[in-house]
Amino acid sequence: MRKLLASFVATVLLAAAVALSAGAGEKKYKIAVVPKDSTNAWFVHMEKGVRKYANDTGHNAFQKGPAKTDAAQQVQVIQDLISQDIDALCVVPVDPAALEPVLAEAMEKKIVVICHEGSPVENCDYDLEAFNNADYGAFIMDNLAKAMGEKGVYTTMVAHVTNASHNEWADGAVARAKAAYPNLTLLAAEPRVESEDNSERSYEKAKELFKKYPELKGIVGTSSKDAPGVARAIEELGLKDKVFVSGTGMPNESRRFVKDGTLSYITLWDSSLAGAAMCALAVDVLNGVKIVDGLDLGVEGYHKLMFAPGSDKVLLGSGWIVIDAKTIDDYDF
Amino acid sequence: MPETLSEPVRRPGFFGRDKNFTRLLAIFVLVFIGCAILKPDLFLKASNFQSMAKQFPEFGLLSIGVALTMLTGGIDLSVVNIGNLAAVLAARVMISFAPKGSSPEQTLTVVVAAMVLALFVGALCGAVNGLLVSKIGIPAILATLGTQQLFMGLAIVVTSGRPISGLPMIYARYGNRNIFGAVPVVLAVFAVSALIVGVLLSRTRFGAKLYMLGSNATAARFAGINVDRLYVLAYMLSGLLAAVAGLIMMARSNSAKADYGISYTMQSILIAVLGGVSPNGGRGNVQGVVAAVLILQLLSSVLNMFENISNFYRDILWGIVMIGVLIINYLINVRDLRRQSQ
Repeated sequence: MRKLLASFVATVLLAAAVALSAGAGEKKYKIAVVPKDSTNAWFVHMEKGVRKYANDTGHNAFQKGPAKTDAAQQVQVIQDLISQDIDALCVVPVDPAALEPVLAEAMEKKIVVICHEGSPVENCDYDLEAFNNADYGAFIMDNLAKAMGEKGVYTTMVAHVTNASHNEWADGAVARAKAAYPNLTLLAAEPRVESEDNSERSYEKAKELFKKYPELKGIVGTSSKDAPGVARAIEELGLKDKVFVSGTGMPNESRRFVKDGTLSYITLWDSSLAGAAMCALAVDVLNGVKIVDGLDLGVEGYHKLMFAPGSDKVLLGSGWIVIDAKTIDDYDF
Repeated sequence: MPETLSEPVRRPGFFGRDKNFTRLLAIFVLVFIGCAILKPDLFLKASNFQSMAKQFPEFGLLSIGVALTMLTGGIDLSVVNIGNLAAVLAARVMISFAPKGSSPEQTLTVVVAAMVLALFVGALCGAVNGLLVSKIGIPAILATLGTQQLFMGLAIVVTSGRPISGLPMIYARYGNRNIFGAVPVVLAVFAVSALIVGVLLSRTRFGAKLYMLGSNATAARFAGINVDRLYVLAYMLSGLLAAVAGLIMMARSNSAKADYGISYTMQSILIAVLGGVSPNGGRGNVQGVVAAVLILQLLSSVLNMFENISNFYRDILWGIVMIGVLIINYLINVRDLRRQSQ
């Protein structure tokens, strides 16, 4: 009898929960996502995520961007959108400074504003970033360590030693190696080299390094030009399966090397997930969900958001992904 | 009907003798009705019209500037870069001489001075273009392509390629305000500028000479017109309008940068041609250009109301419109010529 009662109560509770969630889902919002450039492959991929989000949730989420990467045109598109009864606006700014007045106008109209890759923007509710820089660096290191068999000498490559995010990633990678992989040692003579964000330079630099330091077994790449350039050097020197590289990379630029295994893994964040996550965050804000550490947007890589240290606006996900020979054909940018 | 054949070919129309303008007006009305039918709930709203009115002044002014130089048989490819250079320098001045915390009077003085400086820079850049075209005789398309790079380069040097933000609050606040709560300031600036240029072209001797120069430069020279001076003035006026556009963009984005609005260069040429300005010079007017600006703004805004149409198609649509207009103009010219010869 007690069992029956319990199951009855459970059923009622479950039904109530379903009813409640259905009730909460009744309010459908109109959400505009504005990328930097609607014709760029990265943002075409983002649009897939936005469309999927719209299909899955029933919200009217859509992407609308300038036809060219031009801050002035982006302002124009946003100006149009905010007079079209939208509930939320998600923006990837071409130039954060240029958007402030028009975003201020949007906020005056009670439109929820979410930015992505726009942490300097003041006139927004929240800025959503794919990840914390140090954690992303650690993630690259984990992948490189796996390829290297967790032992050997490695070094790090950045576009320029003055580039803030690349160096934070590289620092994160080094910290991870120190903490988790005792048999990995950083190349003391040249612990950080520059590729100038140019695959020709990263190729030359890698060739030079592998010749100069025969003990060097791995390179951490940060700029998206690093890993493919290093992979080309590995291929030419015939060092495949002897030395390894892992780092940020765009699938189209790296496809050949990832497929034949010269380039063990490329890491990056997925613009389609970022697009969906921005919409989900906007809906949470619209529904009055309290935005706190640990917030779950229900999007892969954005299950446990954290505020950036010292900020109540910038939210960090853990939206990195790793791409290897098996998964590279899922990405078309 | 023999009576009609005996009538003069160019009959005075509704707006002087400007058949082209009447045609553009008709297209405008058609497009407007089309937009109203397609998206009545979003299009027919005061806020939509305000939004459009804030958007077109910047590229509208650039288009009028380009149109002026096209009237002389030339072109100005450097308008966007002149606007940015003027804005960047004005922004520098505002930030250096009216830092945060300055008294309101001082800030106001500096802002006004910076705006005057921007206009001066615009006219100066225009004069450089005009001198290259007239005195040195470089074809306008090459001369302004060169200065395009030059002005952009200067602006990059001044800014190190980064945007200048943190302008005095009052600048953007007044620049983005609506007069009487309805008419955006930038729209008023556009209207006044267009009116001035329109009057200059249609009611003054300067305008008459400009048309003459564009129709036949050699004839103008033999008629005793100071052709070089006229070229310089036309390009200076274009530079001045570009500077005003630069100031508008600066207010709209509360910042200045070397490459804002870079895509407007081609757009403003498109608009000038669409507005009936002949690329060979001598024909066209401001009202035609304004009508073309409005038509393109309608198309652009209504396109943004369709959630599933990517802005990919915007360029295609505009390209089709431009080629269509060129073909129509050509056909009408052929028809008129045939009538004249009959």
